[in-house]
Amino acid sequence: MLINVIVGIIAWSLLVTAYFVLWNVAQMLMAPMAALFLTRHVRRHTRRARALVGDLASPPLVSIVVPAHNEEAIIVDSVRALLALEYEASEIVVVNDGSIDGTLSVLQDTFQLAAAPVAFVQPLVSAPVRAIYRSISDTRLVVVDKDPGGCKGDASNAGINAASGTLVLVMDADTVLEPDSLSRAVLPFLEDPVVVAVGGHIAITNGCKIEHGRITAVKLPRSWLACFQIIEYMRAFMLFRLACAHLNGVVLISGAFGLFRRDAVIAAGGYDKSAIGEDMDLTVRLQQHFRARGEPIRIAFDPHPLAWTQAPEELPSLRGQRLRWRGGLLQVLWRHRRMIGNPRYGIVGLGVLPYVAFFEGLGPLLEVSGYVLAGGAALMGVLDWWYFWVLLGVSTSFGTAVTLLAVLLSDVATRRYMRGSDLARLILVVVLENVGYRQMTAWWGCRGSARLLTGKPKWGVMKRRAFKSKTM
Amino acid sequence: MILGPYASLEFALVLLQVGATLVLVMLAAVLTERAASAVALFRQRRKDHRYDALVRRALDGDDAAVRALVASPKRHRIFLAVQLITPLIEDRDPSRIARTREIADALSLVPVADRFLRSLWWWRRALALRALGLTQVRGRTASIINALDDPHPDVRAAALDALTDLRDPASLQAIVVRLHDATLHRGRRAAALEAFGRECEPFLLELAAVDPTHRTNYARALALCGSDQSRPTLCAWAGDANPQVRAAAFEALAHVGLDPDAARLAIDALDRDEPAVRLMAARALGGWTGAGDAVPSLVRRLDDAWVVAVRAAESLRSIRPAGLAALTVCAGRADLAGLLARQMLWEEQQNAD
Repeated sequence: MLINVIVGIIAWSLLVTAYFVLWNVAQMLMAPMAALFLTRHVRRHTRRARALVGDLASPPLVSIVVPAHNEEAIIVDSVRALLALEYEASEIVVVNDGSIDGTLSVLQDTFQLAAAPVAFVQPLVSAPVRAIYRSISDTRLVVVDKDPGGCKGDASNAGINAASGTLVLVMDADTVLEPDSLSRAVLPFLEDPVVVAVGGHIAITNGCKIEHGRITAVKLPRSWLACFQIIEYMRAFMLFRLACAHLNGVVLISGAFGLFRRDAVIAAGGYDKSAIGEDMDLTVRLQQHFRARGEPIRIAFDPHPLAWTQAPEELPSLRGQRLRWRGGLLQVLWRHRRMIGNPRYGIVGLGVLPYVAFFEGLGPLLEVSGYVLAGGAALMGVLDWWYFWVLLGVSTSFGTAVTLLAVLLSDVATRRYMRGSDLARLILVVVLENVGYRQMTAWWGCRGSARLLTGKPKWGVMKRRAFKSKTM
Repeated sequence: MILGPYASLEFALVLLQVGATLVLVMLAAVLTERAASAVALFRQRRKDHRYDALVRRALDGDDAAVRALVASPKRHRIFLAVQLITPLIEDRDPSRIARTREIADALSLVPVADRFLRSLWWWRRALALRALGLTQVRGRTASIINALDDPHPDVRAAALDALTDLRDPASLQAIVVRLHDATLHRGRRAAALEAFGRECEPFLLELAAVDPTHRTNYARALALCGSDQSRPTLCAWAGDANPQVRAAAFEALAHVGLDPDAARLAIDALDRDEPAVRLMAARALGGWTGAGDAVPSLVRRLDDAWVVAVRAAESLRSIRPAGLAALTVCAGRADLAGLLARQMLWEEQQNAD
């Protein structure tokens, strides 16, 4: 019996070791792809190349869809910032998703909303619309007041239904956009007719100075928790997503900023109300829809920060977010399991989704099981401590090297946190992340999986702060 | 990992050394990159400080400043080219362009661009093309046109940008014959046509006469730069067997404007044709108050397919006073036509207020 247990433990620890080796190899392989993509992007998107939007007499109309549920604190600043974007051919569709605070009333008071008899088709399913308002002071602003749909996807669908643009930008109410973000994001659509969506690098606002809905100074936040997330975002955006973009296999456009061809979203069925990670679910469905029909598709990615979002600074908020992300990821993988390993879906089926399933789907479980095994073996007195410490050192050093690589790419792409003190802190965060934070997020990953399997989808609510002219 | 050395401890130690080395290499790379960018920024600022005022004075017509720029070290030429030419992206004032070109000539920047055009690196070729276009060096039009066939897509895109900025009529034919070239960015093709405006029209009509297979593209191009001159051709295409050609013809007619014959065709199409054609016919009738009564046909389209209905409603709103009167009558209806009519009337009211 004991022999069987020991053999089982050895087999499992081999699997954990293999996971660790493969993960590091995969990250190292992504680096040259990401660097190639980045270099080409920087060389392509010169100022003259970006001026194309201004050369056109009638650039495509972009409808900015802003789902808002109890966003009284930030919605006015958000809308003001959107109205001040450089890209003029835009309309703003705020969807008040059954807010019980003063979201609608502050909009009504500030922008002189009037109930308008607006006719629109509803190709996408959403909760009933109560009324549509248009701003008297700025005719580009439309507010859709609807019954609560219970999720962002439902509100986004209502906004897309009411949108009159050929392109729709779906974002969060607390997202801060760069002034040129729309001009940048529209460019791939003008260049390549097979582009159906454009995602962008999302940066974290914590620590930054924000004035009138614009980032005016970038600094690392005081909160260590936010710093850890900055490092995580760098790793995610600068390695995996750039590599995916290089391979034309983007499977996630963040909910904070995604520009879509409206007809493509409608063809793919829009946002799924039952999806926990509605952004990834829609992106994968777009890939599935076009690739299954043999139609060319490209989901473009801009490595320049197009949008900024708040990272949670309290543990309960962060935990809730991670549990939700985890549930969303597993749900998407399960729903689209037939795509995994299927050559019909090209690089998405053969490369990206298998990677996501193995490294992100199983990753936290394998990581936590490694710690549990080590703990169990230590209790049984069979742990070779010397060997354990060496492997822990290997794991930490490789992880640190990969994260530093992401920092390097982020420096080249975005030139953020360039002060010496920020760099010193960043390096410290890269090292400290391995002690506690990674284990904690891995544990939340396991809990998120368990919650999804046991059908207790309680994901928590993130506390947001107003970003009116202050340092966050 | 757990139970002891089932794998070699030595191997793990080697891995640890590799990992530690990688950390140090990456750390060195981050620090080096930051140091390099700081040095580059410092040099940039120093050059800005040294040349900013000189460049401004040179652009204001100060020959002494131009002589000072010419006397600058050769290694600063690219920096000066960037300083001089980049503002032309936003500022297309002809006198500023001409003055910049004079200074560029004095600094012998055109031979530098020629050298870049022959470079193996695509981004250098693209840079040279855009610089030649922005400064409107018409002596290089042939080189820019040749670059439309460059093997690299971004160089071809830069060549189109350059031709857009250059606005040399000698390049017009080369742009028009590439109207169907899907290897060129579609937005850039449109921008180039728009830049020339009606100058393109004769070439388009001439080519269209001998190339009926690409009528849809020609019609779409005429929608960007056509005039009255194109109307007879577009009216003929409005009866084409291909519905895409018919839709594109009405789209172009919406741009060039209708005459009684064209209006009659559009009204007929509203009642008989396919949705895409009806949509464009409804659009073409926007604001038409001349011969042929467009209003009843447009009203019938108010409960058509969504996109057609919306366009019909917008066109009715723009036909005054008959269209607005028809909308007022429809506003009492409970169907889509009523909804659209109420919306149009509400918007009209808001505009009036």
